[in-house]
Amino acid sequence: MEILKTSLHGEHLALNAKMAPFAGFDMPLQYSSVKEEVLAVRSHIGVFDVSHMGEFFVTGPDAINFVDNIITNDFKNAEMLKAVYSPLCRENGTVIDDLIAYKLSSERVLICVNASNIAKDWEWISGQKGSFNCTLSNQSDDFSLLAIQGPKAEALMIELGLVPATDFPYYSILETSIKNEKLIIARTGYTGEDGFEVFSSHKFAKEFWRDLLAQGVKPCGLASRDVLRLEVCYPLYGHELNDDVTPLDAGLAWTVKLAKNDFVGKKGLESYKPKYQLVKLSLERGIPREGYEVLNTAGEKIGIVTSGTMSVVTGKGIALALIEKAKNPQDKKYLINIRNNNYEAQFHSKAFVTGGHK
Amino acid sequence: MAHNIPNELKYTKDHEWAKLDGDIATIGITDFAQSALGDIVFVELPQVGSTLTTHQTFGVVESIKSVSDLFSPIAGTVVEVNNDLVNAPELCNAQPYANAWMIKVKLSNPTELNSLLSASDYQNFLSSL
Repeated sequence: MEILKTSLHGEHLALNAKMAPFAGFDMPLQYSSVKEEVLAVRSHIGVFDVSHMGEFFVTGPDAINFVDNIITNDFKNAEMLKAVYSPLCRENGTVIDDLIAYKLSSERVLICVNASNIAKDWEWISGQKGSFNCTLSNQSDDFSLLAIQGPKAEALMIELGLVPATDFPYYSILETSIKNEKLIIARTGYTGEDGFEVFSSHKFAKEFWRDLLAQGVKPCGLASRDVLRLEVCYPLYGHELNDDVTPLDAGLAWTVKLAKNDFVGKKGLESYKPKYQLVKLSLERGIPREGYEVLNTAGEKIGIVTSGTMSVVTGKGIALALIEKAKNPQDKKYLINIRNNNYEAQFHSKAFVTGGHK
Repeated sequence: MAHNIPNELKYTKDHEWAKLDGDIATIGITDFAQSALGDIVFVELPQVGSTLTTHQTFGVVESIKSVSDLFSPIAGTVVEVNNDLVNAPELCNAQPYANAWMIKVKLSNPTELNSLLSASDYQNFLSSL
């Protein structure tokens, strides 16, 4: 299959980014150093090209009811111009993808999905339409998406006239026009920091990217994005979430609103007894990696690391791990096996790093 | 990007370097290797006294996002290990040929080093990648 390129591919090459295939796209992994990119986002501003992600639009009188029906979180009662994070589940409760749904108007919803799942999600969502009075369109190829993330992002976005100085809190969205270009701007992100995601035409994205870099915003790749999301313990589809687990296995019970009228997966999730529990573990020495075994102090295998890295902020190895619920130790004592040696892990009840999002 | 390849060292296609002093070879990773790996955040090295065969894994070097095995360019016995790298793995990025040497090995066969790549061979190998 031919490798896909985002509209900013040439910009990445010009910056000498390390490129690698991700979800069918040739994407930038890093530009300068992963460490520097993580720190730029935690202390200043970084920009990510995440144009590989998918955009579906739902329009029509039943748009909101339709979206509310296919996701597990409450979309119907969300305020207008707000975003809602949610898993997308099958009838039995297993996770097809996780997504953000943006309530643009009473008859128009944007759904942003993971790049690796665009085809699967589109097929599934199209198949759910039934008698809902709405129209679905997959506009993934038409949009570029830039994520501007970090504590100084707000001041810059205000200065650029893209967002209002007040009344635009976390998970708000707006539609605006600049230079005859229509933009959708959301105060969302995947780093734990305050930040914005800007959906635009490819042409606008290229100019905007250059403007941001000229303003001293650091270009950041997928490697730093993964470290950032893991430091604040955001799940990633294909790792903590997959076709075989439900949101209740992966620490996402807060996104499953069983009190909602009806939705796809409600029956499955109502009767589901979670098989796994997602835990946060760190090591004093050594770096946990995806696929490493997690054991109890008796040396029995009880789970597996789903994501692991060195935290740039804490300087420690950090991991999310799916533990078999029945074997989850009461004493919260875990070992991680690295190259045939077992290392004592520290259990964390909270995220490794507290992001600064508002 | 041009990489530093000191003339006096020997090299392997696994991007390790070796320097002979009597029958002791000092071993580390090349400038190309450290640059390809990015920020090195963890180094695991063998115990002094370990015996290594040619191409045997003697340790691990990890960047934030990757784990890479270290392969011994030659056969011999580990006589010294650079424990500074355990506490300061970033030295591998800063000074791959100097303070970031990894192990010293007493060669089983002192002529084995001749079979490794010269600086110009290694340069040609990098150009072919």
